[in-house]
Amino acid sequence: MIYGDRNLGVIVQNITGRQGRFHTELMNAYARETGWKGIVAGVAPGKAGMEVDGVPVYNTVKEALAEHDAAASVIFVPAPAAADAIMEAAYAGIELAVVITELIPVHDTMKAIAYAKLHDCAVIGPNCPGLLSPGECKLGIMPAHLATRGDVGVVSRSGTLTYEVVDELSRAGIGQSTVVGIGGDPVIGQTFVDVLARFEEDPHTKAVVLIGEVGGSLEEEGARSTDLPVVAYIAGVSAPPEKRMGHAGAIIEGGEGDARSKVRRLSEMGVPVAARPSEIPGLVREFL
Amino acid sequence: MKLLEYEAKRVFSDYRIPVPKGVLIREPGEIEAHLSEFGDAVVLKAQVDVGGRGKAGGVLVVDSASAVDRARELFSREIRGVPVREILVEERLEIEHEYYLSIAVDRSTRQPVVLFGDTGGVEIERTAQEDGSAIRRAVVSPLLREVPAFLMRELLGSAPRDIAPVINSLYRVFQERDAMLAEINPLVTTPDGVYAADAKLIIDDNALGRQGIEVNRDLSEREREAGRHGFSYVELDGTIGVIGNGAGLTMSTIDLIDYYRGRAANFLDVGGGADRERVMHAVRLVAGLPSVKVILVNLLGGITRCDEVAHGIIATDVGVPVIVRMAGTNEEEGRRLLAEHGYRMVDSMEAAVRAALEAGE
Repeated sequence: MIYGDRNLGVIVQNITGRQGRFHTELMNAYARETGWKGIVAGVAPGKAGMEVDGVPVYNTVKEALAEHDAAASVIFVPAPAAADAIMEAAYAGIELAVVITELIPVHDTMKAIAYAKLHDCAVIGPNCPGLLSPGECKLGIMPAHLATRGDVGVVSRSGTLTYEVVDELSRAGIGQSTVVGIGGDPVIGQTFVDVLARFEEDPHTKAVVLIGEVGGSLEEEGARSTDLPVVAYIAGVSAPPEKRMGHAGAIIEGGEGDARSKVRRLSEMGVPVAARPSEIPGLVREFL
Repeated sequence: MKLLEYEAKRVFSDYRIPVPKGVLIREPGEIEAHLSEFGDAVVLKAQVDVGGRGKAGGVLVVDSASAVDRARELFSREIRGVPVREILVEERLEIEHEYYLSIAVDRSTRQPVVLFGDTGGVEIERTAQEDGSAIRRAVVSPLLREVPAFLMRELLGSAPRDIAPVINSLYRVFQERDAMLAEINPLVTTPDGVYAADAKLIIDDNALGRQGIEVNRDLSEREREAGRHGFSYVELDGTIGVIGNGAGLTMSTIDLIDYYRGRAANFLDVGGGADRERVMHAVRLVAGLPSVKVILVNLLGGITRCDEVAHGIIATDVGVPVIVRMAGTNEEEGRRLLAEHGYRMVDSMEAAVRAALEAGE
C-alpha cells in the first residue's frame, strides 16, 4: 500500500453535494468490507451539524480535525472553489488531498499545489478518480469490485482506462497493490515520478503498470526515475496534433507529447510498452 | 482558446507593454483615414489563426501610397486555406535587434516557465534545436507576483535592462488572464524603446468564463454543439463513429481501431453519469457525420448506468449499425434491453472493435 492503509482516517470536502454524498456512501461501504476506518467527517461551509451516511458534517476542515483523527481529504468541491479547498486542507494539517474535481483553471491548480507543498501536503489530481488499495482503503470514485489484492501497482492519467486495465489484470489473476489515478490535467500534484517513488518504498509492490496518454513528458520522466520493473501503455497513438482529446492535458502541442515518440522513448529505456490494453497482463507477468 | 494577434496586443497594451501603433481594418479603404499616422511605410498583417503566416504571405511591408491596393489584394487571398477577413495595419518599426520572450505552463515542475532568447523571429524553433543555450529558461513560483531580480538577471544575460519591465508585465498578463501561453516573438529594440512586434496569447479553456469570453472560437460548430451537451468531441477522418465514457478509454478505443487498420470518424466522450437523454444526443451527433458507416459504443459503467445507456441507444433510430460493448453498473439489465431490440452485443473492447470493422466494410 502507498499513501495509506486501513488505519487512515479520511474526510470529504463538500460531502453534502451530489457526488460527495454518493461516493461517501460507496467509500464507507468499502470500509465495512475491509475494516478500514473510512470517512470519519465531512466538510461543507454552513452545514455544520448535518449528517451524511452517518458521518458528521463541519463548517471547516480545522473544525473537523479538532474532533476527528484524519490525515487525508477527498475533495468534491466545484471548480471555482476547489483551489481554495485544497489550500484549506493543507493549512489545517491534512497530509494527502485527493482532488476529484474537473475543469479547475490551471493557474488555480498551480497556486494550490505550490501552497500545499509549503504545508507538506501531497495533492493527487485534480480531475482524477483517486486511489484504491484493494482490501485496505479507497479514496475517490474507483469501482472497487474490479480490483483484487496483489503485488502490481497501477498508476494512470486516465479514469475509465484504468478500470479497463485493472479489470484485465484481475481477470488474468494478477492482483494490484495500489491503483492511483493521477489525473488528466496539464498540471497535476503527484506525478508518475512521485507515485513510482512511493511504489519503490512499498514492500507489497513488485512491478508497476504505467498508463499514460498524449501530452507532456511525465511518462518518460516517471519511467526514468525508478528501478522498479515498469510496463507501460500510452493512449492516443491515433490522436491528431493540437486537438484536446477529452482531457485538458491530452494535447500534442508544438510537436511535443505525441504518443508514438513517448512509446519510442520508453522502449529505448527498456520499458515494455503494450500496443493494446489486453497485452498488459502478459507483459506484467514476465516480472512476477 | 487562442486569441488573434490584434486581440493579444490589446491585452498587452492594457498591461503597458509597448506595441506598434496600429489599426484593425475590415475593408481596404479603411486604411486611408489613418495613413497620416504611419509614415511612408506600413505593415499589413492578416489576422488569421494559422502557423507560419509570414512565410505564407500573410505579412507585407508596403509603401503607404500603395497600401490600399495591397490591402485589397491581401483581402482577396487565403492564407493556408483561411480567408482573410481582418488586417492589422501597423507602423513600420526601426528594428535594432530581435529577441524571443515566452511564458508557458511547465508540466514537469508545475510552475510558470519564462523563456528568453537573444535572437527572435520565425526561425527561433530551429535555432533552439541547434543551439540548446540559445534560449534561457527560468521557472517562477506561481505564488510570486513577479519574476525575482536574480532570475531576471539570468534570463536577460547581456540584453538591455529595459526589457525587464516587459517581462514582468507579460508575467502579470500570464497570471491574471489565465494564459496557457503568452509570447512575444519578436520582442524588438528600436531607437524609441522596446516593442512587442508580434503577440500570441492562449487562454485556458477552463477559465474562459471568468475571463469574460463566451465562445471558444477554436472549436467547430459540431464541437460546440457537443460541448452544450457536456461531451468532449473531436472530429477525425475515418468511418467508424466512436462513443465512449472517459477520455482515456475513448482514446484507447480509437487506437485499437487504428491497430486493426480501421479509422475512427470521431472521438466522443459522454462523460460520467450519462443518462438516456445524453446518450441519445451522442448517438445522433455521431450518426450525423456523413462519413459514418457504423457506430461503436464502448462504456464502462461506474457512475454511468448501463440500463440508462441502453434506453438511450434504443430511443434513437439512426440507420447505421450500432455495436455496443458495456460493462459495470446494471450491466445485465442493459444487455437484456439491447438484445431484445436486436442490437449486437459484444463482450470485450477487442471484440467490439473487430465487429465494428466488419460491419463497416
